[in-house]
Amino acid sequence: MSLLEIKDLHAGFEGTDIVKGVSLTVNAGEVHAIMGPNGSGKSTLAKVLAGHPSYVVSKGSITYNGNDLLEMDAEERALAGVFLGFQYPVEIPGVNNAEFLRMAYNAKLVKQGEEEVDPLDFDGILDEKMKLVGMDRKYKDRFLNEGFSGGEKKKNEILQMAVLGPKLSVLDETDSGLDIDALKVVAQGVNKLNNKDNALILITHYQRLLNYIEPDFVHVFSGGTIIKSGGKELAHELEAQGYDWVTAPAK
Amino acid sequence: MSESAVKKTESPETAVLALHEKFLGGDQAKASLRPVNQAGIERFELLKFPHKKHEMYTFVNTHQLAGTAFELAADSPVDTAWVQSKIYPACKNSVLVFVNGAFQENLSDLSGLGDSFKIRCLAEAVAEDEIKQTLLDSLEDENDVFAAINSAFVHHGVWIDIPAKATFGSPLQLLYVSTGSASAPVTSHPRLIMRLGEMAELKMIVAYAGTRENYFINAVNDFIVKDGAGVTFTQVQKDDAESWHCSKTRVQLHRDARFFGRNASSGNRLTRHHYEVRLKEDGAELHLSGASVLVNQEQVHNFIRIHHEAPHCSSNQLFKNVINDKGRSSFDGTVIVDKGAQLTNSDQLINNLMLSDEAHADNKPNLMIFADDVKCTHGTTVGQIDEDQLFYLKTRGLSQELAKSLLTTSFVDSLIQTIPFPDVVADLDEILLKKLEAKHA
Repeated sequence: MSLLEIKDLHAGFEGTDIVKGVSLTVNAGEVHAIMGPNGSGKSTLAKVLAGHPSYVVSKGSITYNGNDLLEMDAEERALAGVFLGFQYPVEIPGVNNAEFLRMAYNAKLVKQGEEEVDPLDFDGILDEKMKLVGMDRKYKDRFLNEGFSGGEKKKNEILQMAVLGPKLSVLDETDSGLDIDALKVVAQGVNKLNNKDNALILITHYQRLLNYIEPDFVHVFSGGTIIKSGGKELAHELEAQGYDWVTAPAK
Repeated sequence: MSESAVKKTESPETAVLALHEKFLGGDQAKASLRPVNQAGIERFELLKFPHKKHEMYTFVNTHQLAGTAFELAADSPVDTAWVQSKIYPACKNSVLVFVNGAFQENLSDLSGLGDSFKIRCLAEAVAEDEIKQTLLDSLEDENDVFAAINSAFVHHGVWIDIPAKATFGSPLQLLYVSTGSASAPVTSHPRLIMRLGEMAELKMIVAYAGTRENYFINAVNDFIVKDGAGVTFTQVQKDDAESWHCSKTRVQLHRDARFFGRNASSGNRLTRHHYEVRLKEDGAELHLSGASVLVNQEQVHNFIRIHHEAPHCSSNQLFKNVINDKGRSSFDGTVIVDKGAQLTNSDQLINNLMLSDEAHADNKPNLMIFADDVKCTHGTTVGQIDEDQLFYLKTRGLSQELAKSLLTTSFVDSLIQTIPFPDVVADLDEILLKKLEAKHA
């Protein structure tokens, strides 16, 4: 059984479909890259997968781990192991970063029928995960994402991913706005989290990220659908020739 | 019985005048403060209770307050253990306790502050011409009728004079306890005048609490902050829900002086904080902030006038209210930048989080700028829980209920957490945040 199976998905916002007929199968242990120009519907797909209430699915289906994903609320999806790394992580002043991470961690433990961890025990877990993603410990006691630099926000997303240990991670333009050093750190963190039991969908505008996280499959997104799929070499061709190369002959 | 029936037909002002007569004739009034009491009542007669369209009370309905026939609060005994439970641990050797406005020596302890902390009873201090003149001068320009009433009835008050360069190891707490009354509503009129000498530093917490309902506490605080001195002034309003609370805080800031004013309000029938701040000389710095959590029909209002009178000064205001049920809040703040006050830096921001359809918030941030080289901003928001924030938390596995409660709590907590006293933060988490939890449960 595939981990994720998207069939002929049509979805959008305020009555207009942005994703128009996407089909994609993702198995455990795979890394898929979705590349495409701005406005092609990549982020909409990510939000639909995470269960954003403003996006409406008009047609098609998404099966996750044998269940109908579209029947699940955003928090149910999270508890079932779906993780979205936000393109623009939200700032929440007043919410302590470490406390928030512990709440999320405990929500998952409770779901699995396990005991919650107390702040002291969680502190040890958090230290280890912060080391993994190369994040300074001072960010524990900051308000969630408030005043973080772009790079720190993205690292904080990967930290959340590390804490929650999802089965399916969708990283929406996690590389955008990162300098090369931050990108390497983030990529190393993601690579350490990858294993044969989980899967990763990388949404990106640039090929650069794929130098550090090697995909098994590359899909080119345009006009709300996948117009070309291939191996990792497809990313290099896109980088060399631009998106026109694939979008033009599709007509 | 017939007496109270007669009272209802009188105008609210007449009732205050009658009470004042009674006050002057009673044994609470102090002879030395009589000129102040007299000037206060004259000012009151001139100002009168605000009518509906009064400029200072546009958003605040004082009709019920003005229409209530109050008695003078008696010097009643209080439960010592209860009072002690309201003293913050960090202030146990630096606390002044007042019951119904009257100083309680046996419950107070100033041993932690040392010799440089000078405090005198206002009735005694007023014997000095300079102090008397300060009080009378402030009345000449008094524009707030409730502050005028405070002067008309002041008899206890304290005068604190901090010598130049003095600093203190622990914060000072002023605890104002109101005992209320079973028979008739009572009033008390605390008064504080504080002068900080050059380069002196003082951190203080003023906490208001009531043992029962049915009282009106009407406080006035004056601060004169000399060159380079700094004050942290945190007001914690946790009165009984069935009470009224007015406070006026007047601040004069001299060269490079700093004032950090914060209020946190749990709300009641009516709470109104009035700040009047003058940044008189170069480099003065002002920070004002306030947080409130309102449920049922509770109200909190902030009225602020900031006068930038000199160049290179900065002022900053941040107010946050969480309003549920039929709660009401208002913010009416004006920053006035005088012609000579170049390079003024001023920010003003008010955020309201509305949790019900019947919650109400009025906001009037205002700038009056007569200088041409200044940086001033103002803004206000009134809104519900942010959907993007809610979604973000839910994608991390938090339930709808937990995510909502976290966002509501964090809205005020982001301000409460900036209070530099852990005891106060814990207290407010208990009072304000528990109110939210109770509503969410």
